Formats: sequence, C-alpha cells, structure tokens
Amino acid sequence: MTEEALKNIYLKDFHKKNDAKFIAFAGYDMPINYKQGIINEHLHVRNHTGVFDVSHMGQILIPFSEKNISALESYIPLNIKHIISNKCHYSFILNSNGGIVDDVMISKIKFDNREFVYIVYNSSRKKILNKIFNATISNFKIFEDRCLIAIQGPESFTSISSILNLPASMNFLNIQVLQYEDSDLFISRSGYTGEDGFEISILNNKAEKLISDIINNNNAILCGLGCRDSLRLEAGLSLYGNEINENINPVQAGLSWALDKNRLQDNNLNGSKILSQALSSIPSLKKIGLSPINKIMLRNKMTIHNNNKEEIGFITSGCYSPILKKSIGIGYINKITNISEKNYVNVRDKYEEIKLEKIPFVKKKYKKGDKYG
Amino acid sequence: MGEKKYTEEHEWVQLSGEIATVGITNHAQESLGDIVFVDLPNIGKEVKAKEELCVIESVKAASDIYSPLDGEVTEINDNLSNDASIVNQDAENEGWIFKIKVSNPEQYNTLMSLDQYLKFLDK
Repeated sequence: MTEEALKNIYLKDFHKKNDAKFIAFAGYDMPINYKQGIINEHLHVRNHTGVFDVSHMGQILIPFSEKNISALESYIPLNIKHIISNKCHYSFILNSNGGIVDDVMISKIKFDNREFVYIVYNSSRKKILNKIFNATISNFKIFEDRCLIAIQGPESFTSISSILNLPASMNFLNIQVLQYEDSDLFISRSGYTGEDGFEISILNNKAEKLISDIINNNNAILCGLGCRDSLRLEAGLSLYGNEINENINPVQAGLSWALDKNRLQDNNLNGSKILSQALSSIPSLKKIGLSPINKIMLRNKMTIHNNNKEEIGFITSGCYSPILKKSIGIGYINKITNISEKNYVNVRDKYEEIKLEKIPFVKKKYKKGDKYG
Repeated sequence: MGEKKYTEEHEWVQLSGEIATVGITNHAQESLGDIVFVDLPNIGKEVKAKEELCVIESVKAASDIYSPLDGEVTEINDNLSNDASIVNQDAENEGWIFKIKVSNPEQYNTLMSLDQYLKFLDK
C-alpha cells in the first residue's frame, strides 16, 4: 500500500507530539511505539498501566430490531435475541463454509433510551464487513466520530477510577454507558493483552482530554501496536490475518468455546452444519504454542518439521516475549499424527529445535468477581 | 585507525591495517528498535562485498547484515550473544558485530564518508 493511501486516526498529531513512531497497519498510519520502546511499554502494561489508541478498529451501533437480529444471527454464532444487556461476547462473522470473516466483540447496550447491538471489529476487515452490514441490516451507524482507547494493566482500574465514576463491581466483559465531559462513552472491562483493563469508545473531541487525564495523573504511559502484538501473543490471543482467516473455522482455530452450540443446529446460520461436524470429528488442525531451544526468533510463515524434516505445520505469529525473555510463537500442526518427540522450525534453511508449549504463555488476569484469572 | 566509512545498508566500517571492524549505524539501531538477538557469522567464513553475512532480530523484524567488503571473518563480538541490546546502547563502538580481514582494500575507498552518509539519510 502506498503512503498516500494510508488513513489517519483522529489523534495522530497528539501521538506525534508524544514522540510516536508510526507504521502502516491495516490501512492506517498507526503508532508502533513511543520513546521507551516496545519492550519497556510491554513490561509497563504487565506491571502498571498502558494506554493504547486503537481507533483504527471498526465500531458499529445497530438498532435492536427483529429484522436486524435475524440478519445478524445468520452469520454470527450467538443467540443475539436473548443476549444479556451490558455483557460483551467474543464471537465471529462467519462465511457460508463456517470460515472466519472476522472475529468481533459484540454486546447489547442501552443508549439514548433505545437498545442497540454494538460491535467492535478489525480495521483490516472494514471493507468486507461494511459491505455485509450494508446488504443485511438497516438504520445502523458506523462510528467515524468516536475513538477507541484501551487502558490495560493491573493498575488500570486505579488509573481511571479517579476520572470516571466506575463501579468496582464491574467484571471482565461487562460494558456500561457512562458520562464524561457531557458526553456518552461506552466502557467495557476487556482488552487484548491478557491483563485486567478497559476499552473506551469516546467522541473524537473528548478523547485527547481522557488520555491526558489518565497518563498525567497515574503511572500510565502511552503504548503502541508493537507491544500490543507481543502482549496478545503472550496471552495466546488470535490475530485476524495470522491465526484466523476465511479459510479456517472457529473449531480448527481452537476457538469453539466462543460458539453458541445451540445455534449450530440452526440451518439459517452460515456454516452451521460444517461447524457441528467439525466439533464431533477428529481435528484436522491443532493450534500449538512453541518456543525455540536456541536464541532465535520465531516468525510468521516459518514451517514446522518433525525428526525426518517432514513439514508438519506452520507458524502464524512469532515475537520476542519480554516476560519469558525468549521468542514465542503460535502455529498450527496439520499433520498431527506425524509429530515426533523432537520438532524443528526452518529458520533461513537451518532446522532449529522447538519445544511445544501451552497457550497462554503468560497467565491471564481478568477480573472475575474477587478473583483475577 | 582509519576514518569510519558507511554503506547504503546502514553499516559502519573502520579499517585498521588489513582488519575491518563492522557494525550497524546509530540511525539503523534507532529504526530497528529493541534488538533481541544477533545471529553472528562463523569465524573463517569468506565473503564478498554486499553478501548477506548475518541477521539482526529486533522485536519488529529480522534484518540482514551485509559484508561491506570482500574478506574473511576473523572475529565476532561474543558479548552480543549474551546481550544484543548493546547494539541499541552503543551501535558504533561496543556494539560492533564482526571483523574481517579484507582482501580488496581499495573497496574501502568506494564507501561513503560520514558527510556523504548523512546526506544519504536526508534523501
């Protein structure tokens, strides 16, 4: 993609002033890191609080009407009709083969005294999703006037409780509409780092004040997409385009926990037959975590081999883990019966031994009642 | 020690007798970001100028390091195996990567001076 074609997020100048370095990501010119660098930002999120501007993400508000719900239920494997208010669900937009068109966060919220379905989706999938929404649902609003700000880390509640009137009882995956500076914001206790944290949808012209309030009064720093990737990888979370795509279904991707199993009996749901078959058959793909024995980096697209150098899988994401101080990766084994005791990755035509690891690499710390886990 | 010279691949080279010390420039380490591993070359390896010799892994990406001159690798900076971030901290001194015994010393004069390199960066 050429530089001219890149879109800017609303607060780009603010990030520039804060010494952000930028990269092209999913069509947007996005902060990859600030002065402290990716590793320091990563550790700051694990130990304190990091603030991410993820306004490149898609946000849509859909009136909770019968017609809209039945359209959404034709490609989202969730019982939207009976969805509980103020609770987020991780789900998917499915194609007719059950393949993942996108992974999304979906919730039902009350706003302006009306009920809506609110969906947050990937920037890289905006084009195709907006096309689907246009063709199937009505009276929706795609937010171009709102930023999405993520506050992540063990101190994130402390960091924002002095600014927003937030109930301490708010749990992981709860979502609320709150007032800030005479405007409505949507705040969910969620994120993409494995830490406790929040995502806030806020009007563009209020976002800079909110971010400044958080970073000026707390041990919170701005963080870029660089550490967002290493944080989500340590937490074992999938990234669209890496672990998941249109040719892979939620069962193959090890995400069947996110499927509403009752919905798989519904012939009106895209790919329902394929998905229920996949659930009851021997898996054809196995998602694995891996790390190298030697000091090398695992990267996307490297191939995985057994003792006989036979290719048995591939890596979908790899990075350096600042917590484990070694490289970690996620990949798929497509010849499950051919795994040997010792397995390898092809790194620039050298076979480097890897260990298979449990996902997540770092324990999740979501707030669930009095416990974090 | 001769004057430091620079390549378009953002390496610096310093010639002392027939031994050239090679590293990446401060500009290069800044744009790579946090460097986590350096895959050092084998001692005794013979290389031609502009041939890939080793790889630097930053948290963002893998980058090839090219040999700036023809020669043979005589020494590598083993400190980088334990702590690759030395390249971030001091790219143009302690963060040197390898030394080669040059076989065509006249190639050295074709490399850029500091002034020329700074102009090259401005382009």
